[in-house]
Amino acid sequence: MAEGLARALAEMARQDVDVLVLGREGNARFVSEATRLWLSGTRPFAPGCVVVRKTGAVHLMTVTDFGVPAEISPACLYPMSWNPANIMGTVAAIPGLSDAERIGVDGLTPLFEQLFTATFPKARLVDGEAVMRAARRVKSAGEIERIRAAISVAENALGAAVHALRPGVREVELKGVFEQRMCRRGTTTPAFEGAFCVVDGDRPIRRVVSERQIADGDLVAMSAGVLLDGWEGSLARTRSCGAPTAEHRDRASRWRDEWALLVDRCRAGALVGDLRATTGASVHGVGLGYEGIADGDALEPGLVIQLELEVKGVLGADTMHIGDDGAEALTAFPYAAAGE
Amino acid sequence: MSNDLDLARMRRDRHKKVVDALDAQGLVAAVLLGQPAVAYAVGARAPAADAARAAHQRMIAIVSADGDAPHLYTTFPEGVPPELPADHVHGALSVEWSEGAEALRDALPDGPIALDEYTMPIHAALDGREIADATALLSTCKIVKTADELECIRRAQSLNEEAMLAVEPLVAPAVRGTELSGAFLRRIFELGATANTVDPIWQVMPARVADGPYSATGDVVFPTPTTDRQLAAGDVIWVDTGIEYEGYASDFGCTFVAGGPEARHRDQAVRWREIVDRCFDVLKPGATAGDLVRAASRDERRRPWLPHLYLAHGIGTNSAEMPLVGTDLGDDFDDTLVLAPGMVLVFEPVVWDDGEAGFRAEEIVAVTDDGYERLSARDGGPRG
Repeated sequence: MAEGLARALAEMARQDVDVLVLGREGNARFVSEATRLWLSGTRPFAPGCVVVRKTGAVHLMTVTDFGVPAEISPACLYPMSWNPANIMGTVAAIPGLSDAERIGVDGLTPLFEQLFTATFPKARLVDGEAVMRAARRVKSAGEIERIRAAISVAENALGAAVHALRPGVREVELKGVFEQRMCRRGTTTPAFEGAFCVVDGDRPIRRVVSERQIADGDLVAMSAGVLLDGWEGSLARTRSCGAPTAEHRDRASRWRDEWALLVDRCRAGALVGDLRATTGASVHGVGLGYEGIADGDALEPGLVIQLELEVKGVLGADTMHIGDDGAEALTAFPYAAAGE
Repeated sequence: MSNDLDLARMRRDRHKKVVDALDAQGLVAAVLLGQPAVAYAVGARAPAADAARAAHQRMIAIVSADGDAPHLYTTFPEGVPPELPADHVHGALSVEWSEGAEALRDALPDGPIALDEYTMPIHAALDGREIADATALLSTCKIVKTADELECIRRAQSLNEEAMLAVEPLVAPAVRGTELSGAFLRRIFELGATANTVDPIWQVMPARVADGPYSATGDVVFPTPTTDRQLAAGDVIWVDTGIEYEGYASDFGCTFVAGGPEARHRDQAVRWREIVDRCFDVLKPGATAGDLVRAASRDERRRPWLPHLYLAHGIGTNSAEMPLVGTDLGDDFDDTLVLAPGMVLVFEPVVWDDGEAGFRAEEIVAVTDDGYERLSARDGGPRG
């Protein structure tokens, strides 16, 4: 049985959930290891994947077994549909659903809530996202390797963007260079469309690229990432266009001082909310894409997080693997400003 | 046809439609969590991202029926429309957690509201409230486009088509789908696309359905994700791509033949053209989706589109939205869907000769007062 499915089933048992009906692609991928077509942006909840605790089976909404591991039988695949009633009819016919008492869902819409209530009048809908978050939270050695592989692609693609940084290039072009290199390295799906944004003094750094032409002496914040087989590799760095100025060096030096303090606090036992309380810092989980982590959560060995810090026009982020004694950066791209 | 585009006017017109729809249904507010819905009602923008990141960093809008400016919660201040008053722009709410969900609940006016989707903490926080389906509400607003919206779709499509010109010369034996994606993505950003919306598809089609991969419908399998498999001479490749311009989606589909099309490929394209032209012959205000289904199916051995998809779909801030034509919503649905000026249709029938693969392309039109006008400019091939 796939590692993710085993962990999901164990968590279902712990939280007493009979069936999971999942709409979120990361959750579906965790239990199925299937590659389905990537679309950007939020998607409203729909039953795209069903996990039945009693049978241990994963059922997937897909028209084909292309990209679906052989362990999932074709009998467990059901085609997409535009008719929610048809989808619910298909889901209701899955073995083990009719007598489910607690059905976990990772989201809902008013329409699907009505359909669930009508189709499974005796079942109670519970928070399936909490089940999946718990199952996905601590990474195995194999998962760390998959994140490392994604980071390797992201770093290579960021290197191409840094190489293309020269006076006259537009921000949007750097995004294009990053994504083309990502594709050459074998994956066509970004974790997000990157920021390659000129820094405007001490103002907050933009995350939406523009048509702006980058000039000699500009500081450029770069934040980008890829998904390789669904696993995220992402990082952020800030670079000078042309030779770094004295001001750039001052800013970089200040960032490094604050970064060192932040990284030192990033260790097992630290509260996520405390790290986030640092001005300019942000923290989220990294795995099958972006993973949520609450302010009240404490870091623990096996977590992988993205630690990001923005200080006065300098942005940097690394992917950190929390160990027993401190955190190991899985990203290794140099911090130094170009030419420094 | 004017190429005038006024984004502020477009946002104003859309907001008014949502306010009027709320008023008509006796609702006090719409709470919008879906990013295409926020883009529609507010005109706000966030960087495109994978679904998980997009969900955790989602913009949220509250549109009230009193016509006041909407309230927007966002991580991305640079994506906020300039006319939105500063006291209506708020930092993001983490609605993956109960604290954020309760803060959203506390910001809502009393009375019946519409909402498009729940996170589970929002579902818990709103327990006991009267909630209508905001997706259905928005669908009634979105289905008819203003002239500005049509211009956005036209520009998105034009940009998508131009980017494809950079890809076409690369389509040849030994090239990998991933390389085609790279060339395409680079070009769309250079040309000014605000986002890519779907992993570009370059699917090599089998000669016959039975050649696989497995089909859950028994019909043609499409689409499948792009791989680094190398193209071979004679491969029939179905292409499907979509980008975004000012929140509006494009949809460009065509058929490539690696090494160049032969007579049978051209014959299939001619038959595809005949199907679309039969639809165009009946396409005008007052016609129904059912009329289009019947026109497309006339004299065909099988319904000439994929059974899990559609003959045609609308497009806007979602890449597929109402009007949907020929789906499993059924014949009654099609027969009661009446076309009106301003509706947009992306026609994507399929010609399939089992044993000789097939042809698929897409063509976008807007319904006008007395017929239709094309929003896409390039034909779908066969190319190569």
